[in-house]
Amino acid sequence: MSGKVMTAKDALYEPPGPRTKKKILIGTVLSLLSFAFLLALMIRRFYLTGQLDPKYWFFFGRLSTWRFIAKGLIGTVEAAFAAGAMAFAAGFAMMLGRIGKSRFLRFAATVLVDFTRGVPTLLFIYFFFLVVPQFGWKLSAFWKITLPVAISASGLVAEQLRSGVNAVPKGQREAALSIGMTDRQTFYRVIFPQAIRYVIPSLIAEMVIVFKDTTFAYVVNFPDLMQNAKVLISNYDALLSIYLVVAVIYILINYSLNRLSTKAEKLLSGKQKQGS
Amino acid sequence: MEKDQNSSVKPVPVIELRHVDKHFGQLHVLKDINLQVKKGEVVVVIGPSGSGKSTLCRTMNRLEPIDSGEILIDGEVIPEEGRELARLRAKVGMVFQSFNLFAHKTILDNVTMGPVEVLRKSKKEARQEAMELLKRVGVDSQASKVPAQLSGGQQQRVAIARSLAMHPKAILFDEPTSALDPEMIGEVLEVMTRLASEGMTMVVVTHEMNFARRVAHRVLFMDGGSILEENTPEEFFTNPRTQRARDFLNSIQNH
Ligand SMILES: Nc1ncnc2c1ncn2[C@@H]1O[C@H](COP(=O)(O)OP(=O)(O)OP(=O)(O)O)[C@@H](O)[C@H]1O
Ligand SMILES: [Mg+2]
Repeated sequence: MSGKVMTAKDALYEPPGPRTKKKILIGTVLSLLSFAFLLALMIRRFYLTGQLDPKYWFFFGRLSTWRFIAKGLIGTVEAAFAAGAMAFAAGFAMMLGRIGKSRFLRFAATVLVDFTRGVPTLLFIYFFFLVVPQFGWKLSAFWKITLPVAISASGLVAEQLRSGVNAVPKGQREAALSIGMTDRQTFYRVIFPQAIRYVIPSLIAEMVIVFKDTTFAYVVNFPDLMQNAKVLISNYDALLSIYLVVAVIYILINYSLNRLSTKAEKLLSGKQKQGS
Repeated sequence: MEKDQNSSVKPVPVIELRHVDKHFGQLHVLKDINLQVKKGEVVVVIGPSGSGKSTLCRTMNRLEPIDSGEILIDGEVIPEEGRELARLRAKVGMVFQSFNLFAHKTILDNVTMGPVEVLRKSKKEARQEAMELLKRVGVDSQASKVPAQLSGGQQQRVAIARSLAMHPKAILFDEPTSALDPEMIGEVLEVMTRLASEGMTMVVVTHEMNFARRVAHRVLFMDGGSILEENTPEEFFTNPRTQRARDFLNSIQNH
């Protein structure tokens, strides 16, 4: 899944010449062929093991099944966007700490960034699921999944924002200061608006990770796509068929996010270069 | 603040440096610099590469901090930081070798940014004045483009307009034409010459000796972090006092 994502992104950086176009065409045909081959292999395997039996598929003909899947999908999207927004806010604050003048804040932010990046999301989830309630803090399932996913992503967001800030040429800051802008004005009016343009594509790509992390929602019983899939599996005693459909949905989400990221990248770099 | 001459006191210099010293690590880049720039004066700073010209220029609005000494704008000492520093910086414009226009803003917004954000002028008023300034430097037709769409010469003229929009007491130029093609150098120098004739106080670091000869009231020759020679342009170019200045002038004339 992620391998496909990478190549799609990398290939689109430079406009391809006629030779590259030919190579891309050959590559596309080859990968389509091997994909078809694998698919055929899989279907054959399914057939041999009886997975194509109607009892594993008939419920996909029911509206209620799709409604249930849609509900889960909405849960996933809500959780992912909430977590994404919180990760952005927290990451922004950490980034400010890291580039700020206060030594203590710089240190604290660095520790936070390394900590949130280093600890697996699942551990944060268990923390909110098992430890936090012991202190009498009652959280709904929604927060039990979104808070840890957000925390887990925040350090990465902070570092992406910081790399954007560092990519803004030094002269921009000097020009702003020289017309009498304060450090604050310089940052919010000149530096950050340019920095965010540099990193929007990677921030969108980061959402892919957030989406994937929300699949841990089953741990806290939050009805996301994954959790609802599990319910369907136990109801119909059908594992492979349901996971297959759900996987396709996740792939579609992440694929569109990656398309969006590449598009944003082209649009924004074009804008800064030609301005139209 | 500004009492002017009628009280028979000496006019306050627009920019004054008193015993300014600065190091970059071990390197002593500015050595006991003393300098006064009077109102309406055009001071050209020349000297070999690495002599500290840019650093001198940048200390004048404290883009570079100094180790010791004082820098005064309009008689007020520039503090190390804070709002007061920003307020005094606004009085001294700066034009950079690499233009440094705000890349994410249109040409018009580049010029209105200071008046709106710093002087708290209304957008409408700022726009009106910006258009007049852009006309004065001959790029008003480009107002709605972004910097990257303009030639270097046009960008540098916009940078000058951006400085002027703050109604500065003085403008510092750090090699404003060094990044330009020969055809564009002329258009920028022309704008600068006009500014000088209108009485703008200017400190100009440049390698354009003809400009220095024509426009400067005073030439400073720097080498090794010191001002080695201060002279009128006629004297400096025909009869430099120091051997180093003679060597420098020879070296640039021969190439
Ligand atoms: N930020 C810095 N850190 C360390 N050393 C620096 C820094 N900026 C400048 N220097 C050094 O200080 C000295 C003076 O630099 P400065 O840029 O003022 O020279 P200049 O006279 O403007 O030269 P040029 O004609 O090449 O622009 C040089 O030796 C330079 O390498
Ligand atoms: Mg220089």
